[in-house]
Amino acid sequence: MSYTRKLAWRGYLVEGFLILVSLAIILPLLIMIFGSFMNSTEVLKFSLRFPKEWLFSNYSMVFREGGLGRAFLNGILITGVSSILNIFTSSAAAFILVRRESKLANFLYMFFFMGLIAPMSTITTIRVVQWLGFYGSITSVILIYASLNTAFSVFLYSGFIRSIPKALDEVAFLEGANTLHVFFKIVTPLILPVNATVAIMVFMSVWNDITIPLYFLTDSSDWTMPLSVYNFYGKYSRDWNLIFADLVLTSLPVFILYLFCQKYIVSGLTAGAVKG
Amino acid sequence: MKISRKLYSYYLAWPALLIYSVFFVIPAIAGLYYSFTDWRLDRTAIKFIGWDNFERIFTDKTLLLAIKNTLIFAIATVIGKNLIGIALAVGLNMRLKTRNILRAIFYSPSILSILVISIVFTPMLRADGTINRILDAVGLHFLSQNWLTNPSVVIWTIALVSIWQQAGFQMAIYLAGLQSISKEYYEAATIDGAGAWRSFRSITLPLLLPALNINLMLTLIGGLKVFSEVFVLTGGGPGNSSQVVGTIILRSFGEGSWGLGTAVNTLLFAAVTVIAIPLLIFMRRKEVSE
Repeated sequence: MSYTRKLAWRGYLVEGFLILVSLAIILPLLIMIFGSFMNSTEVLKFSLRFPKEWLFSNYSMVFREGGLGRAFLNGILITGVSSILNIFTSSAAAFILVRRESKLANFLYMFFFMGLIAPMSTITTIRVVQWLGFYGSITSVILIYASLNTAFSVFLYSGFIRSIPKALDEVAFLEGANTLHVFFKIVTPLILPVNATVAIMVFMSVWNDITIPLYFLTDSSDWTMPLSVYNFYGKYSRDWNLIFADLVLTSLPVFILYLFCQKYIVSGLTAGAVKG
Repeated sequence: MKISRKLYSYYLAWPALLIYSVFFVIPAIAGLYYSFTDWRLDRTAIKFIGWDNFERIFTDKTLLLAIKNTLIFAIATVIGKNLIGIALAVGLNMRLKTRNILRAIFYSPSILSILVISIVFTPMLRADGTINRILDAVGLHFLSQNWLTNPSVVIWTIALVSIWQQAGFQMAIYLAGLQSISKEYYEAATIDGAGAWRSFRSITLPLLLPALNINLMLTLIGGLKVFSEVFVLTGGGPGNSSQVVGTIILRSFGEGSWGLGTAVNTLLFAAVTVIAIPLLIFMRRKEVSE
């Protein structure tokens, strides 16, 4: 009896402490959210309070001035195409490498695995893209993101495809199917949840990134939301209410994705934590 | 396996190999070569100059500082994110009423862009900003700082912001690891009279090794590649006091000293490989096999 009471007390203590700590996380985010509705003098206190008057007009103002509509579409195009490209190429490659079980396949797996560790060589990548003739284009950025995420995706897919019995494809082969059939008719339906996980992980990292657009998108009309925000931040450095509104708008897509797709994010994390 | 050779044709692996090679591997190898050249924006002929770029890196004050800052950032964030991540995960693995909402709160900053977090923190970190005002209010005035303008603390400030944002991500991975540990181990330990700390050390930690392994790798590699936090919070300043390898590469690119920039990148590549691969092998060996 006394033991369970001790446990209960420990629970309350831990809970109280964690709630206190969580304030440190909530506070800056609320300052941003409330600040985005204030007028430009009220916001400058940077403290936690409700706006005297909720100025929704800040948002329409930012949307117009910051060129956010265009940036949003650019972001959707870049993240969408690069994650779809990444899903197809990586899952197909992982399928072959896992099923082959040969020395070459093993080597190729390690070859991909290196990409998880090695940093990208930005300056020479720019040269390669220039040499291919599409430096500064959205296409180049899509291909770069697809390649940067290949290592992680091949790694994730390999783990899952290994757990699909080979007997399944062998039956199909005996009935005369070819590799492409087996991949699309048998393996792809089984790894659909993994596809969702990869799509979301790639989407989130690409959407939030500023490094690649900074180096590779020379024309501001091609910029994604975070980079447009950075530009806006430089231009309107005194209007913190507008800057905050801009930051909220940029965060909204990933936040909505997170709300609806938590399950897939958790399964991606679990794969990493349990399989190592 | 005779059939596997014919049936699992490599052509399905080609697209991934092609994209990955052209946009990642070939530039990496080219970078290795160019780091030994005097490749510049204004030069048409590129000359091989041996170790000159590397000599310059190790004699130039700013470049040395950038390397030191990168190491400080990496080590501080590895320790901070993992200690806090484990503590949060252990706490939020208990049966608490507010557990789900707390998990969501701690995880939420990590889904936002580093740019968003860095901009939100910029005004809060000023001398008269929110953070100093809070410190004053709770009687910790002596901790007040010019967080972003004092050259000797600025890199630590940036590390703190990164820990604030990412520790919840590490927590999520540790939580996934904790949830895979069977409750029976703890029950058995309690019957044998083990206390909380003993259970943590003898059951939780060893079984958490795969999660610890992946988290150490992620935070270490991420820490060495740091760029966006510094770029947005300080741009490498004040002066050059918060430059890191990532911002130096951007600067070299802007100045057109591409040979030097690729040399800095090569150094980063070497550091990541030298630190990460032995760690990976070591951690794999220590993992508990079930």
